[in-house]
Amino acid sequence: MGEASGDDLRSTLASVLDELLPARDDGRLPGAGSLGLAEAVEAATGASALRPAIAAALASLAAEGFPSLSQPERLARLQALAKQSPEVFQALLSRAYGAYYTHPSVVAALGLPPRPPFPKGYDVPATDFSVLDPVRRRAKLYRDC
Amino acid sequence: MAEETVDVLIIGAGASGAAFAWSLADTRMNILCLEQGDWMDPSRYPSAGMDWDLRGHGDFALSPNDRKRPADYPVNDAGSPIKPAMFNAVGGSTITYAAHFPRFHPSDFRTRTVDGVGDDWPLDWARLEPFYALNERMMGVAGLAGDPAYPPKQLPLPPVPLGRLGETVARGFNQLGWHWWPSDSAIATQPYEGRAACLNLGPCLTGCAQGAKASTDVTYWPVAMRAGVKLRTGCRVREILVREDGLADGVVYYDADGVERRQRAEIVVLACNGIGTPRLLLNSRSGLFPDGLANRSGLVGRNLMFHPYAMVIGVFAERLDGTQGPTGCGLMSHEFYESDCSRGFLRGYSFELMRGVGPVTTAMLGGQGGWLPWGAGHHAAFGAVFDHTAGLLAICEDLPEPHNRVTLDPELVDSHGIPAPRVEYRLGENSSRMLAHGAARAKEALEAAGAKLVITEAPMRVAGWHLMGTARMGTDPERSVVNEWGRCHDVRNLFIIDGSVFVTAGAVNPTNTIQALALHAADTLKRNLGELFD
Repeated sequence: MGEASGDDLRSTLASVLDELLPARDDGRLPGAGSLGLAEAVEAATGASALRPAIAAALASLAAEGFPSLSQPERLARLQALAKQSPEVFQALLSRAYGAYYTHPSVVAALGLPPRPPFPKGYDVPATDFSVLDPVRRRAKLYRDC
Repeated sequence: MAEETVDVLIIGAGASGAAFAWSLADTRMNILCLEQGDWMDPSRYPSAGMDWDLRGHGDFALSPNDRKRPADYPVNDAGSPIKPAMFNAVGGSTITYAAHFPRFHPSDFRTRTVDGVGDDWPLDWARLEPFYALNERMMGVAGLAGDPAYPPKQLPLPPVPLGRLGETVARGFNQLGWHWWPSDSAIATQPYEGRAACLNLGPCLTGCAQGAKASTDVTYWPVAMRAGVKLRTGCRVREILVREDGLADGVVYYDADGVERRQRAEIVVLACNGIGTPRLLLNSRSGLFPDGLANRSGLVGRNLMFHPYAMVIGVFAERLDGTQGPTGCGLMSHEFYESDCSRGFLRGYSFELMRGVGPVTTAMLGGQGGWLPWGAGHHAAFGAVFDHTAGLLAICEDLPEPHNRVTLDPELVDSHGIPAPRVEYRLGENSSRMLAHGAARAKEALEAAGAKLVITEAPMRVAGWHLMGTARMGTDPERSVVNEWGRCHDVRNLFIIDGSVFVTAGAVNPTNTIQALALHAADTLKRNLGELFD
């Protein structure tokens, strides 16, 4: 992310991520920034045409001392960014979702096995198709032509 | 550089090109297929990684405009509310299709006669039926006999299990007394012809790492190549050449190194889908065919039909294990398939069950739909929805309308500088009414099944999977581009075998019909080889 690779920008991004995806109240899900996803979000932004705009937005937030602001102030800054630069904000948000919801600890907390689907797959019980009995009793639905 | 003349040159290695090549292989003719994509490596499909759900929005996105793989070409779809979806590789869009594999109904081939809309096809259901059966054996189709929505048929494999999600939705249909049936699915539910059995991985739309889904790179192509068919990848055809006598002479293409080459052929076969085929014909202008090859009717590119989809998602109180099992194969309903004038439209639609989506897609859809906040309320809203959803897709029959069309974009080009296609499409009045009816009935079914909340998108923007009608078949050269076995009226050694040749759209996924038509075309070609050029 160019300028965003500095410590200030990295900590700003982590703070932004914690605002977008904060820790869950029950403590079972950490915030996205606390989970250390800033680097992954930076990497996901690397190929985007919006990369310079995202970097500029983060630099602006860093210049305001975003991580040190109060929570209501951080929220207000992000709401302003969403309103003024919706495309940049959505790009950042979708990358945050992508990094967060593929992290094994988050996946496990959602009740899924923290592994890829392949090669183990999943057991789905065989269906008892007697549930189709009412349908079997129906007359044909198609027309002969 | 000139190369040897082949007997048959097939352009495109997807659903139809593969079936056609396999059928023709027993003639021992010299058969070559050019494919702009490459072989896929199933070990690198998304389901083999933790980012499986995310990659469906990246290098496996539905639209080539979003995906931007080297094999893809851009499509100017700004003039359409439905965005074309396709995949370019050996296997074509069967790499990323759901493998929902029903046949058309008999009435689909007689819409003008039975309902006064569309046009009749120049062949009927009975003629195609043996090729449906052959295709289902070759692809390995799972399903259950006895469906009252169809004439009797026997499929080679037992059906895909419904899972908790499918059983929940089925109860809703039963409560309403509506038809439903386990999907006809091109998925090996048991080991079949060298393919391993389905593991219920879930994300079928990003390729099947297990090889259980019947993409043609694992079904027809291995058999066809063992029988001698040659397949050359990374080759993008620019134009079809014609001789002075008006017959096709071969093609000009760019090989995998970007080198311009010429391939001569006695017979040229287009299998490039409902957008790629008209694009190539329109890019093949000459003195004999100034408006594009085989386009004396002016119908090349016209009558584009999608299946407009209504996507209706129900949110349930309980978890549904929705990420487990083939995402687009569970159950289907043909309750509203055949015409009923009292509904306010003619023809009809089917329902296809859509299992739940992964966590990334849940978040993306929620953000786009405005029902999932970021910040403090995010986790509560996400938790109420993730793995609590079941979807119904209403697949609506589109009618052929000449203003819906594929043309060449005056500015947009692909990576080889070849003019790209432009799609101009608007929903017809009949389709709009049908969509609204389908969305309302889907909501009813999901609520009967216990859904507490229903979310609807109609038309579903990204669902331009089915590309049909842009080089329609018929007996009248003034009103059609090809005859009933895909032979161009204007160019006797040029054939079209993909969804372009559809006269009407039916209301189910078209791949089984596309392949049955391709097998029928190949069979008829073989029987007419002796007098093909008389």
